[in-house]
Amino acid sequence: MSQIAFYILSFLSVVSALLVIFSKKPVHSVLYLVFCFFTIAGHYVLLNAQFLAAVHIIVYAGAIMVLFLFVVMLLNLNADIEPHKDNVLKVSAVVAGGCLMLIMTSVMKTADTMPIIDSTNQIGVVKNLGLALYQTYMLPFELLSVLLLSAMVGSVLIAKKEDIENLPQ
Amino acid sequence: MILLNSTPADYLPIVMMFVVAMGFVVTTIFFTHKLGPKRDSKIKLDVFECGIESVDNARLPFNIKYFLVAILFVLFDVEVIFMYPWAVNFKDMGWFGFVEMLVFLGTLLVGFYYIIKKGALKWQ
Amino acid sequence: MNTLANNIPINYYLILSGILFCIGVMGVLMRRNAIIILMCIELMLNAVNLLLAAFSVMHNDAGGQVMVFFIMAVAAAEVAVGLSILVLIYRNVKSVDINILNRLKW
Repeated sequence: MSQIAFYILSFLSVVSALLVIFSKKPVHSVLYLVFCFFTIAGHYVLLNAQFLAAVHIIVYAGAIMVLFLFVVMLLNLNADIEPHKDNVLKVSAVVAGGCLMLIMTSVMKTADTMPIIDSTNQIGVVKNLGLALYQTYMLPFELLSVLLLSAMVGSVLIAKKEDIENLPQ
Repeated sequence: MILLNSTPADYLPIVMMFVVAMGFVVTTIFFTHKLGPKRDSKIKLDVFECGIESVDNARLPFNIKYFLVAILFVLFDVEVIFMYPWAVNFKDMGWFGFVEMLVFLGTLLVGFYYIIKKGALKWQ
Repeated sequence: MNTLANNIPINYYLILSGILFCIGVMGVLMRRNAIIILMCIELMLNAVNLLLAAFSVMHNDAGGQVMVFFIMAVAAAEVAVGLSILVLIYRNVKSVDINILNRLKW
């Protein structure tokens, strides 16, 4: 049962990921990526990491992809901006990526098959995750606030248009 | 505690809900397009805009102001996400967790103060 | 109750993550729209996230899932700053094609 669910979800995520990179219009790419993120959230549910699945949908599909969609609309990119295709570049990129994929999958296939401990373990629930986050990983958590602060300041500094009339002389 | 014992099987109803919702939308759209008679004319397919002829593309570049609000929304969204596990463990961690979260929020409040001072949320 | 018990080998997750990561790499190499390239980076981050979560469940250790949280926050910060830079570039050169952006000053 869970194997079937895994196969369906994997197929959907790989296909939507391929559609992301091969679709012409940026808006379509964004929507396919949102779908891909939903299937990855399904994988998290299958791993019994439910809180992670919820957060994944909220942060990625709900916030980050909306921002991407927003920028695509803002920059008015619904027209194709890549008019003259460089086919050599495209083919070489596919070949390079395919070689990497071949190597990775062949290496990982030879690894010992270790079944995942079945999903009755409860580390994915909010309570256990919170305990690990706020006790074991306290310092990275606090440093994360500094990262978010710097991102905030940086993006405001970059994106805000200075109004020249109101500057103090 | 229901929260402490859950398996992926508990999420089957949600999957069913997704399937039913998607299926409903797809079948309705499909059958209305199939069953309804098609009488297309130029006026009928026109974009209705209060009787006035529509002029431009719908995807106009809009104000950059919205963009800053969207960016700041993403950052504060991530911040709020980190409060869920904290709230669930609030009693277990006592004062330690409280102070920890105060430091976290204090650092982000500095950013908020900067945003307000910079006037990034001012609409003019 | 136990019909959905997870008995998927870790290799499957390894291969799936590898494929998703490679698709991301392919996109970064192939596309010239800078926004799509940022999206492909998100895809690669997600492949890594999935693998971290799988290993975290396998070893029964919450550390992996906590790392996924941190990666999500880093991705949000990266996207915020990256997209602001892109908008600024677009305002200056009216394009987000990386072939036009291959010089540091103009």
